[in-house]
Amino acid sequence: MNGFAEMIIKTEDIIVKTIARILIPFIQLFSLYVIMHGHYSPGGGFQGGVIMGASLVLLFLTHGYEESKERMSEKAAILFSSTGVLIYSGIGLLCLLLLGNYLDYGRLSLILNVDLAHARSLGILGVEIGVGFAVMAVMFSIFLDISTGGIEPGEEKKNEKASTR
Amino acid sequence: MDYFFAAVGLCLCMLVLLALYRVVFGPGIFNRVAAISAIGTKTLVILLIFGLLYQRIDMFIDISMVYALLNFIGCVAAAKYLESRQE
Repeated sequence: MNGFAEMIIKTEDIIVKTIARILIPFIQLFSLYVIMHGHYSPGGGFQGGVIMGASLVLLFLTHGYEESKERMSEKAAILFSSTGVLIYSGIGLLCLLLLGNYLDYGRLSLILNVDLAHARSLGILGVEIGVGFAVMAVMFSIFLDISTGGIEPGEEKKNEKASTR
Repeated sequence: MDYFFAAVGLCLCMLVLLALYRVVFGPGIFNRVAAISAIGTKTLVILLIFGLLYQRIDMFIDISMVYALLNFIGCVAAAKYLESRQE
């Protein structure tokens, strides 16, 4: 294993670890703020998802693969990315089922029991939450695939032994 | 007051150019990493000055905060990369 892959194996630097541990919850809180305030301020689903993914990247950089894979595994990342796409297209198809166009949020007022403008706002928020899920998981998954080369760091030695036999 | 902020922004742009020289020609990787993080910090202040000039400081504070966070994470990643290459 060479170069980039060694980045996420092991680290014992207490300063970097402590700073990351303090900073990561605030980064995630800020990403939630960016997602929720997407319609008033710059930001939205994509940007909030990128910030959330960056917090996970920071976690893996500072705490190493073994320690942090319990927080967010690759399997969970794949599940989250497809859940995000499901939320997005689910809201779109729900509008289609309510005799509107695809992603025509105004029709959601029939089932949400609120007025038209409020239903539009809630629909956009739901779609942005879906986009945020998908982007967060895909960013994290790309980082993990590049840094490990597609092989789990723990399984590297087993594979080498198997190939030498 | 706007002229003052515009002048400060122009001075910071000049300083970014000076740091960019270090990034392109600087000897060694450490100089480049330090210069890149310095450019990131100056860009953050330039963003805030843009916000002051356009009277929308509340929007630009969000952007500059994201910029600072990503700059920090990039710095940590570069440091880890250099550390793993030296062994």
